[in-house]
Amino acid sequence: MSLPSVTEGLAAWFADERGETVTIENVYQSSAGARRRNLLFDAVGDGKVERLVATVMPTAEIELSDVGTEAAVRELAADAGVATPRIRGVCADATYLGGPFFLSERLDGETIPRRVLRLVEREGNGETVVRQLGTALARLHSVDAAKAPAKLIRPPDDDPIAPMLERMRELMAEQLQAEPAFVYGLRWLEDNAPAKPERCAIVHGDARNGNLIIGEQGLVGILDWEGAHIGDPFDDVAWPCTRMWRFGEDQLTVGGMARVPVLREGYEAGGGVWDDERFRWWRALGTLRWGLGLAGQAAQHIDGRFRSIVMAGSGRRVSELAYDLLLLVRP
Amino acid sequence: MQQRPTAAELLADISTLLRQVIDQVPEWQKHQARVAANLASIVEREVTLGPANDEAERARLATLLDQPTTTDLATLRGQLLKRLNDPTPLDSDESVAIYDALLDTVRADLAISKPGYADWTQEET
Repeated sequence: MSLPSVTEGLAAWFADERGETVTIENVYQSSAGARRRNLLFDAVGDGKVERLVATVMPTAEIELSDVGTEAAVRELAADAGVATPRIRGVCADATYLGGPFFLSERLDGETIPRRVLRLVEREGNGETVVRQLGTALARLHSVDAAKAPAKLIRPPDDDPIAPMLERMRELMAEQLQAEPAFVYGLRWLEDNAPAKPERCAIVHGDARNGNLIIGEQGLVGILDWEGAHIGDPFDDVAWPCTRMWRFGEDQLTVGGMARVPVLREGYEAGGGVWDDERFRWWRALGTLRWGLGLAGQAAQHIDGRFRSIVMAGSGRRVSELAYDLLLLVRP
Repeated sequence: MQQRPTAAELLADISTLLRQVIDQVPEWQKHQARVAANLASIVEREVTLGPANDEAERARLATLLDQPTTTDLATLRGQLLKRLNDPTPLDSDESVAIYDALLDTVRADLAISKPGYADWTQEET
C-alpha cells in the first residue's frame, strides 16, 4: 500500500471513529517484522498533534491473536504498571489500511538491539533497565489471569509444561536431520521438568532486547505483544536471558545489559517470587525451541516452502543453539 | 582432479566479491547478500576443516559407543541417537561421557560455522 492511501485511510478512520478532522503527517514505516508493519505518524488536528504508531496486520487470517485481544492485554498490563505504549484505537476493519490495526502512543527511545547496547554503555544504565524489566514482568505476572481476554491462548488444565514438552517432541520428529545435542537437551528437559506453576499468569512471550524501548532514563516501554499468552511466568523471565539476545555481550546474561541477580532483584521488588530451577528449565527450553525453529527455517528452504538464502543460512546457525543448550544442561 | 584455485580458494573469492558489492545491492537484498557472503566463508572453512572434523567425530563416537574403529560416521550417529531416544535412564558416567562427546562435536562444528562462538564457557546458571 502506498503512502498516500495510508494517509487517506488513517484520516478516514479518525473522521469515522472519532468524528475528528485530522491531517496525517510525517508518515514513516519503521523496520517492520515479517507479519506486521509499524507506521509512525502524526495526526494533526485542531491545534493539537498526536504522535502515534499504527500496527497493521497484513491480513486478518495469519494473526496469532486478533488485534482486539492484543490491545486488551496491553491495556491490562499498562493498568498494572507495566511500561508499554497505551492503545489509542483498535480497528478490525481491513478497508482503511488493508488489514486490521491498532493505534498506540509513540514513545521515544532505541529498540534496535545494537543501538540499545550502545546507549546503555554510554549511559551506564544497564542495571537500571534490567531491574525495571524484572519489575515490569512481575507486575504483568501479578495480573489476575481470569481478567485476560477470552481469546488469549491458555494451556489446558493450567499446565504449560507438558504441552510444551509435547510440542518440542513434535518439532524434533519433524527435523530433516536429528541434532544429537538437541535430543540430549530434550532428555534433560523431560528429566528435570518442573511441576505446573502454582498459578499461571499472563506472559508477554518475547520480552527481550529488541522488543524493549530504552531511553536515557531506562526502560521506556515493552513492545510487540503478539505472542502474549497465559503460561508459566518463568517462560517470560528466562527468555530475555538466553544468549541470542545478548548480541555479543555474553557476560551480561540479561540482554547484554546486566547479570541475572539484577533481574531477580527487580522481579522481587515487583512482588514476583523467584524460582531458580524453573528459571534454568525455561532458559534451556527457550534455547531448544529457538534451535528447532532455525532448523525448521532451513527445512522450509530445502523443501521449497520458503526459498531464501537467509532461511538456508539458519541451518548453519543450529550449532550455536546446540552449544548454548549444552552449556545450560551440563551434567 | 581440478586445477587450482581449490574449492576453498574460490569460496573465499566469492565471499570477498559479495562483501565488495554490498553497497551496490538494493536495500531489500542487502541482508540476503551479507548472509550469502557469510555462508561462502562458512563453506570455505567447511571444505578445509570438515573432513578432519568428521574423522574426529567418527573416532570419538566409536570410542564412546565401544564400536570397531572402522565403523562409519552415519552408523555411529544412528547408534548414538538410538541410545538418546531410548527412555532407559542414562547412568551418571554414561551421561557425562555422552555430554563430553557432544560438546566436542559441537565445538568442532562451530569452528566452521561461527569461529569464536565456543570461547564463551562461563554461562551464568
